[in-house]
Amino acid sequence: MSRKDLGLLAIFGAPIILFALSLIGLIGALLEDGQWDGLGAALLGTPLLVLAWALIRRRR
Amino acid sequence: MRTRTIRAWSWVHKWSSLISTVFLLMLCITGLPLVFTHEIEEVLLHQQWEPGRQDGERLSLDQVLEVALSRYPGDVAAFMSFDEDRPVVNVTSVAPDGPAGVYNFQPIDQTSGETAPPVSGHPVMEFLLQLHTDLFLGLPGMLFLGAMGVMLVVALVSGVVLYAPFMRRLPFGAVRASKSARTRWLDYHNLLGAVTLAWVLVVGVTGVVNTLATPIIAFWKDTALKELTVAYDTPVAVGERASLDAAVKRAQAALPGMKLQFVAFPGSDYSTAHHYAVFFHGDTPLTTHMTTPALIDARTGELAAVAPMPWYVKTLSLSQPLHFGDYGGLGLKILWAVLDIAMIVILISGLYLWLARRKKKA
Repeated sequence: MSRKDLGLLAIFGAPIILFALSLIGLIGALLEDGQWDGLGAALLGTPLLVLAWALIRRRR
Repeated sequence: MRTRTIRAWSWVHKWSSLISTVFLLMLCITGLPLVFTHEIEEVLLHQQWEPGRQDGERLSLDQVLEVALSRYPGDVAAFMSFDEDRPVVNVTSVAPDGPAGVYNFQPIDQTSGETAPPVSGHPVMEFLLQLHTDLFLGLPGMLFLGAMGVMLVVALVSGVVLYAPFMRRLPFGAVRASKSARTRWLDYHNLLGAVTLAWVLVVGVTGVVNTLATPIIAFWKDTALKELTVAYDTPVAVGERASLDAAVKRAQAALPGMKLQFVAFPGSDYSTAHHYAVFFHGDTPLTTHMTTPALIDARTGELAAVAPMPWYVKTLSLSQPLHFGDYGGLGLKILWAVLDIAMIVILISGLYLWLARRKKKA
C-alpha cells in the first residue's frame, strides 16, 4: 500500500456513524411511541440526506 | 489487504450476490407495495359500513361462532380475532378433511351476526404477499427464500470487507461522474451500499427469522406447550367444549390489563388438542408485538396455565414489525419504500458491474 492510502477510520468513519444512527432510529421507534416515531424516522432518514449530499457535492 | 485476500472476498461477494439477486429483486419489488398494504387496502376495499344494531347489544362469542360455522357446515373453528375499531369478530374455520392451508375467513358483525365487509385480504395484495413469503411453494418456498436472505447477509459482510480496498484513495461519498460508466456505477454501488447497510441488514436478518415462523411455532407447540398439557390424553370433542365466552373471561381475569388479541381453538396450530389458547398483548409499543397465551381447559373452562412465550417466539414476534416497517407511522413506511428502492438500485448496479466486467474480460 502506498503512503496516499487512507486509514480504516477515514474509510469507515462516516458509514459507521450512519449505521449507528439508522439502528438507533429503527429500534428507538419500536421501543417508544409518540415523539420517537418522528425522531426514529429522522434518524433512519440520515443516510438518505447524506446520499443526497454526496450525489450533489461529491460528483466529479 | 493482500491481493489474494481481496480476490477471495470478491469471489464470496460475487457468488453470494449472483445466486440471490433475482430472488432479492423479486422480494424488493413485491415488498414495495406490501409496505403500504394497510393504506392500499383501505382504498381498494373501502365500503361504507354501519353495525346492524346501534344500541350496544352484542352477541356472545359462542353465538358468533355458531353463526359462522353454520355458513360452512362441517368446518371446525381454528381462530377467532377481534377488530379494534369496529364491533367485528373474525372467525377462521377449516374443513377437517380439506387440503392443508385452506381456511375460511369470515368477518362477522357482533351486533347482528351478519357478515361484515372485509378490511383486509384483497386478492392482489394476497397474491403479492404469498409470492413474497413463499413463492406459492409453502414451507419449502419459505425456507428457500430464507436461504436467499442468508446469501444477502454474506453479500453484505463481504461487501463491507471489499469497501476498504475500493475506497482507500477516495473520500467518502465520491462519485467519479466523469469516468467510464463502470467506474461511475461502482461508485454509486459502493455509496448506496455504505449508507443503507443498517437498514438492509435489519430487514434481511428479520426476513430470515420470519421465514422460520412455521418451524419456530411447531417447536414451541411440541416443547413448551406440551409440557403444560401432559396430563391429557384424549382430545376434547366439539360437543364437550365449555363456553367460549366463559373461557375468554377466565383468561382475561388471569391477565388483567392486557388486551385480547385472538383465540386459538383446540387442535389448531397455536393450541393443544385440549385447550382454548387465548392470546393477549400489552399496550406499550414493545409489548404490543409480544403475545402471551392463557390456556383454558376446553372441557371444564378452568384456567390450565398462563404460558409466557419463550425467547425464540419473542424473537419472531419482534422480527415482524422490524421487517414490515409498520410500527412508526406513515413517515417510517415512506422511508422503508425509499430504502427499498435504493436496494433495487444496488442489486441492479451489482448485476451490471458483473456483466460489464465479463464483457471487458472477453
